[in-house]
Amino acid sequence: MSWAASPAAAGTARGAEDPPGQPGRADGGPAFPRRIRSVSGAASIVGAGLIWIVLLGPVITLLTHLSWHAITSSLSYPGALDPLIVSLESGGVTLAVLFLFCTPLAYKLARGSLPFPRIWEAGVLCALLLPPLVIGLLLVFMVGPYTPFGDLIGHFNLSATNTFLALVIAEVYESAPYYVVGAQAAFGSVSPRLEQQAELLGDRPRRVFRRVTLPLSAPGLAMALSVAWARAMGAFGAVIIIAYHPYGLPLQIFTTLQETGLASALPYALVLLVVALPLPLAAYVWSARAQGRRRG
Amino acid sequence: MLKADVEVDRRDFTVRASIEVAQGERLALFGPSGAGKTTVLETIAGLVDPKTGVVELAGRTLTRTSRPRVAVPPWQRGVGLLRQDPGLFPHLSVRDNLAYARPAGSRGGELTSLADALGIGELLSAMPARLSGGQQHRAALARLLLARCDALLLDEPYAGLDAAARRTLTALVVRLVTERGVPAVLVAHELADAQAFASRMAVIDRGGVLQIGDPDQIVLRPVSTRVAELVGYLGFAEVGELAAGIHPDRVLAGAVPDRGPVLTGTVAASRPAGAGWETDIQLPDSVVTCRLADRPGPPGSPITVTALDPPLFGRDGSAVDTMAAGLRREV
Repeated sequence: MSWAASPAAAGTARGAEDPPGQPGRADGGPAFPRRIRSVSGAASIVGAGLIWIVLLGPVITLLTHLSWHAITSSLSYPGALDPLIVSLESGGVTLAVLFLFCTPLAYKLARGSLPFPRIWEAGVLCALLLPPLVIGLLLVFMVGPYTPFGDLIGHFNLSATNTFLALVIAEVYESAPYYVVGAQAAFGSVSPRLEQQAELLGDRPRRVFRRVTLPLSAPGLAMALSVAWARAMGAFGAVIIIAYHPYGLPLQIFTTLQETGLASALPYALVLLVVALPLPLAAYVWSARAQGRRRG
Repeated sequence: MLKADVEVDRRDFTVRASIEVAQGERLALFGPSGAGKTTVLETIAGLVDPKTGVVELAGRTLTRTSRPRVAVPPWQRGVGLLRQDPGLFPHLSVRDNLAYARPAGSRGGELTSLADALGIGELLSAMPARLSGGQQHRAALARLLLARCDALLLDEPYAGLDAAARRTLTALVVRLVTERGVPAVLVAHELADAQAFASRMAVIDRGGVLQIGDPDQIVLRPVSTRVAELVGYLGFAEVGELAAGIHPDRVLAGAVPDRGPVLTGTVAASRPAGAGWETDIQLPDSVVTCRLADRPGPPGSPITVTALDPPLFGRDGSAVDTMAAGLRREV
């Protein structure tokens, strides 16, 4: 035996890393459904199922109480679908306004780059907690006729009561806080280190936002937008006070209910669900797929 | 040439660093956690603004706080930064990550050949989440090199990796830095990482540079007791008026007066360490720790060891030139 170290022993340290072409498994192995091991485990599943059914109860009720005849008869007279058009248009404008004006705020909140960040957040929270009916009341005093804002837009022959503009304003106020909170969470999930890295690789901040921040936060932003969409579609409290006309779907349901009763209001409820839900569902499916793509 | 002479205010102290790194030179900033090493890197990268100072790279002034003021933004600096988290963009494939700085070059031969050289050639179409830690670091390194940065900054890049991966990646970085002739700065709190990488080393503590020099010279001849502690000296033995720094790896069992001062004391404690025994020795005035090849006697038994040519320190804690002190052979 020689005291000199053998070259073979010295070489073993190399190549101990993962060989290329065999990337490490991202998941921990095959996922078996967790077995029900105890009475309390079974009870918690039954309880969860019950709550789930209770939560879905209204949707189930709606579907069981609708008849084809009722739908066709209430939606067939001329102008019956005008509220749908109004809701879609105002909702679309609302989303555009939110995306353009609230996204920068949400980004700055997420990065904590505003002075006194707690105060800014408290403001958003405050708007989130205001009851819609109260928002409507206060909006009348803020943008209604005989207010400075009302006078100002009056010069352009506009009015913010009982107009399309008023409807959009009411919907923006009812949905914006939800969008800001959701978008803030979406931006917060993107590591600032990644943005730094992109800057060091030669991208200006605006380009970093487009190439890194936006794609990475897009699933969360889509979810926030769709929640805002659902809020805007269903906006009622502020709308009934400041924008009774033109009718959107929620007001149509309300007036139909008052004038002709429950049965004829139900079809509009279905229409409202059908327009309010697809966007959130699509956003959900899309963001799940985006996450899956990233896992490769 | 990378030159940085900066002062940066931090919450608890001010970081003062003055470093120069030539093309192809590898400087390691070594020091304990929270010493301000990363702050120096971030100042060079333009992520942190210094209170005063100058940063120059390849003949360009990147930062100057005196008039005329200069503050080149990070995206125009041409500085590559690799951190412990490799920072691959999770929504882009490995190929798109590599080509991030130059999308037009994604089909170029340079990308493919570099990826092959780094051993990630077959992973180009994979998503980053599928890569192991070592592979992610290789991809991040390839991305920096393809961005053609003028300086490479490495902030404890391998802290999360196992020893074998560290060794291969360090060797790889050393080779690439030498080939491309860019200045490189590594931040490390492990001495072994700093030594494996660096051609020159700076010891940093509480924001100040304590010593700059050859890595082996710093370990053998620390300029102060603080530097000695940072590079692994465990205890000091009184030798006449002076204190000899005792490095656990530079101690021989028995009395070998030719090689350095002979220390006599009793075994205070011992424990297995690697292939040998780490032993605490109670000397008349202090306790020193050394690694011996053979197991010492039980606690309380007498023991004699020789410290190999130890650095000597005066009462103020600064080093005394052993030759000038005339102590080298006498003690």
